[in-house]
Amino acid sequence: MLNNIFLKTLRDQQRSLLYWILYLITIAVVMALIYPTISKMTAFNQYLAQLPEGMKEMFGGAIVDYTSPVGYFTTELFSFMVPLLLLIFGIGYGANAIAGDEEKGTLGFLLANPVPRWRVVADKFGVLVVSMMLLGLFFWAGLTITASTMNIDINILKLGETTLGSVLLALVFASLSFMAGCIKGSKGVSMGVASGIGVLTYLLNTLGGMVSWLKGYRFLSPFYHYMEPNTLANGLSPMHILVLLAFVIVFFAVSIPAFNRRDIAV
Amino acid sequence: MSDNDIIIDTKKLTKYYGKRLGIEDVDLEVIRGEVFGYLGPNGAGKTTTIRTLLDFIRPTRGSATVFGKDIRQNSVEIHHRVGYLNGELALYNNMTGEDLLRYLGNLRGGLDWEYVKKLAKRFECDLPRRIQGLSLGNKQKLGLLQAFMNKPELIILDEPTNGLDPLMQHEFYDLLTETKNEGRTTFLSSHVLPEVEKVCDRVGIIRQGKLVAVETIEALKSHSIRQLEIHFARAVPKEKFSVLSGVRDINIRNNLLTCTVVGSLDALVKASAQFEVVNIISHEPTLEDIFMTYYERENHVK
Repeated sequence: MLNNIFLKTLRDQQRSLLYWILYLITIAVVMALIYPTISKMTAFNQYLAQLPEGMKEMFGGAIVDYTSPVGYFTTELFSFMVPLLLLIFGIGYGANAIAGDEEKGTLGFLLANPVPRWRVVADKFGVLVVSMMLLGLFFWAGLTITASTMNIDINILKLGETTLGSVLLALVFASLSFMAGCIKGSKGVSMGVASGIGVLTYLLNTLGGMVSWLKGYRFLSPFYHYMEPNTLANGLSPMHILVLLAFVIVFFAVSIPAFNRRDIAV
Repeated sequence: MSDNDIIIDTKKLTKYYGKRLGIEDVDLEVIRGEVFGYLGPNGAGKTTTIRTLLDFIRPTRGSATVFGKDIRQNSVEIHHRVGYLNGELALYNNMTGEDLLRYLGNLRGGLDWEYVKKLAKRFECDLPRRIQGLSLGNKQKLGLLQAFMNKPELIILDEPTNGLDPLMQHEFYDLLTETKNEGRTTFLSSHVLPEVEKVCDRVGIIRQGKLVAVETIEALKSHSIRQLEIHFARAVPKEKFSVLSGVRDINIRNNLLTCTVVGSLDALVKASAQFEVVNIISHEPTLEDIFMTYYERENHVK
């Protein structure tokens, strides 16, 4: 595990990854175990139907049938909790990858070796992508296995597609945090920028559903491209996935020259 | 001396951090096989120079080559041939010493583990221990080990003896001598004069970002300020001494003459020889004395 920067960085992540995986699996299993109880609460649907449009938006968009498996999992897991958890992990990692090492003083130590700077950026970004994919994979596995044993009527492929969407959404903000670290070298700034823009674009999407003049700007929000296709019901929308991917690629592409051209702090 | 033998060559190297001066117009040549001391008080620009040479920070003006290669264009190749110890040493705390060295070895394309073990034994490094639990001195030893372990052609050390006990300092000086005997080059920064005197062939003195002088150790000592005490058999007339050039602050009390001498002792010794001398005590100049010499000179020029 000490052959190169990628493997060494992954090795540094192993404990953190293990805890996050256990955490996510627990949530997946618990939420699936609770579902049979929820499915019997039909009164909840009548309550939801009375809500104004804007409030429905906050509860996960067009979902009306809360007690159906698709409605339940979308509302309880995918509209908020899972993306939020992945975002926390991703933004934290992104800020730590370059800026964190720089603040600790270990980055200069690493760069004194015969490795080009782009390689450091690429390897650390690679670990980010792999880590988040692993989190998504284990969450999906936990959810699928529990749902199947409980005979919940849900398409496991679409569960996987929705999880992939969450991972991609979180990757957008993680790579934003990563990029900010490459530009500025400050962990605090990276986390602040990424979470700040995260909150703003989240609001843009939800409020955009209610406020007419904001509607035209919703496409700017990564949350829009994640929520809008209603993936758990309809499957992946390639167009929206590509937009999310484009955000990630642009942030990564900016990271390399940004880090390459600047001074490294002590 | 061919161009091949100039290992580090800086031309008007200048670095500003925004408006704050790091270094200005530093012209430095370090020659193959020498131990070059880079001497200056804290904040003088020693670390700035080193970090520019390693391409961590980019010069505002000027240029530099290491092994004849441009520091900006060929940094990866240069790093292949350089061992480096940073001043404010920060290692990966979650690794053991052994893992750290193996990792660095892999990044550098291989490692002679037998040699590492030999060095570790010499410096009494506890390699299987996690770095987190190591004392400052033990971390420093690990830092030195990784700088020397690939037998690089050039070793750049920023304040290398930080936190080392005297025994280990001695071991380090021995290692430097061996390195020199193998024809390899060392560039080390320090604010400790006796250390530089002990191990260096030449010294560059830096102050407020400017390279004030580059001298051999002998030359450095020869025009430094020295405190002298001369015990005579009987009283001596002050006039005989006060006319001497380079002799200042003369004080005579009970056959004992104390004074400050700048540069050569020749005139003073010859004047003293006219009388019966019991004892001469010369106080070795401290770093502060030497700095004062150069500061004063600079101010006189102004």
